[in-house]
Amino acid sequence: MMVIECIVNDKKYVLEVDPQERLLDVLRNHLGLLGTKEGCGEGECGACTVILDGKTVNSCLVLAGQAHNSVITTIEGVGNRQSPHPVQKAFVEVGAVQCGFCTPGMVLSAKNLLDKNPHPSDEEIGVALSGNLCRCTGYDKILRAVKLAAEEGK
Amino acid sequence: MKYYQPQSVNEAIEIAYSSQGIFLAGGTDLVLQMQKRKIQPKALIDLGRIPELHEIKETKEYIEIGSMATFSEMGKSKLIAEKASSLWLACQTMGSPQIRNQATIGGNLGNCSPAADGLPPLLALGTEAVLISGEGEKQMPLADLLGQTPLLSPGTLIVGFKIPKIHLLSGFAKLGRREALAIARLSVAVALELDGSKVGNVRVALGAVGRRAFLSDSLAHVLSQREFNESWLELGISQIQGVVRAALGDRASAPYKRVAVAGVFREAVASLRRQGGLDK
Repeated sequence: MMVIECIVNDKKYVLEVDPQERLLDVLRNHLGLLGTKEGCGEGECGACTVILDGKTVNSCLVLAGQAHNSVITTIEGVGNRQSPHPVQKAFVEVGAVQCGFCTPGMVLSAKNLLDKNPHPSDEEIGVALSGNLCRCTGYDKILRAVKLAAEEGK
Repeated sequence: MKYYQPQSVNEAIEIAYSSQGIFLAGGTDLVLQMQKRKIQPKALIDLGRIPELHEIKETKEYIEIGSMATFSEMGKSKLIAEKASSLWLACQTMGSPQIRNQATIGGNLGNCSPAADGLPPLLALGTEAVLISGEGEKQMPLADLLGQTPLLSPGTLIVGFKIPKIHLLSGFAKLGRREALAIARLSVAVALELDGSKVGNVRVALGAVGRRAFLSDSLAHVLSQREFNESWLELGISQIQGVVRAALGDRASAPYKRVAVAGVFREAVASLRRQGGLDK
């Protein structure tokens, strides 16, 4: 076992973890943050996307130790029912959610894009979401929702 | 399993010696292999906390890239965009944004997948690899290193890469099943010296054609010291199809790749022309 320290959604944690555990396991099993989903478990689908030190990563490919001393944002830290993030609001407004499994990852990739680049082009939105697969929507409404969130932020 | 986070290269080498652990770079390949129990290390030595391994810098003779530079960092580097454009291009399409934020160029070599996107550009650019072990530091051409089996002896750490500054124009193209998140089925990197309309030395490297990325001597020989025009391109295409035929023999993918490589080569040369400002 090993001890890691990290800040998750603005809260500091000191955790005893197995070095084999992935960040995904730490978030879901130790912290009970079930918004981060495990889809493929091999870095293809992006359902487990979180923001680690300002960058999106697949938490299924990050070991707990690699997250030591880092700052992490999961979907639970982005917004909630009472005060949703502009990206979440836009997803609801446009109807960009169907089964919802990919949505947390999509929202985090979109949020991270808009944090760095508040007025992205269509192509930049496409690239930013290219690591997140959706098997329901056909992507069109998701891309429109991100565009709407960017426009509302202007 | 033990987990170490050394703060310096020397500390990492010492831990590797005493623990018989393996080095962890970005983890995008290794974590997956551990999950599937293909690799069960006694110890992991996480290289993420060694500042010097993250550097991308220009020295008098080289562009130097630390082994822990991520594909995102390289893909955002103005220096790499200007002086090593084939590598820069490879960084734009490798994996996905999430993978590029985590995967490193050193890990790309250490894991050495046949389809590793970073290796053909580095080969075409005439890159030297810098390695360190208990026996000391050594520098050798990446092309020679890729000819070795095993690639690295246990306890050897990839420190980084040195790309000679010899004003090469370079390009890269790959073929995948979709644009993002696709493992390269075939990739080509081309680098050349251009003096007016005359091509000097040429290097062409191929990925996902056989066990490891490689430089083609025959392409270098045929395409160097010629006029850079449409017939040069056609000569390159017929030659590279022969190289793929010879490398793949009667493998199932051979009939497809032999034909497809023509388009990939054409695209790599087009990207070289664009990056070099030859097409406005």
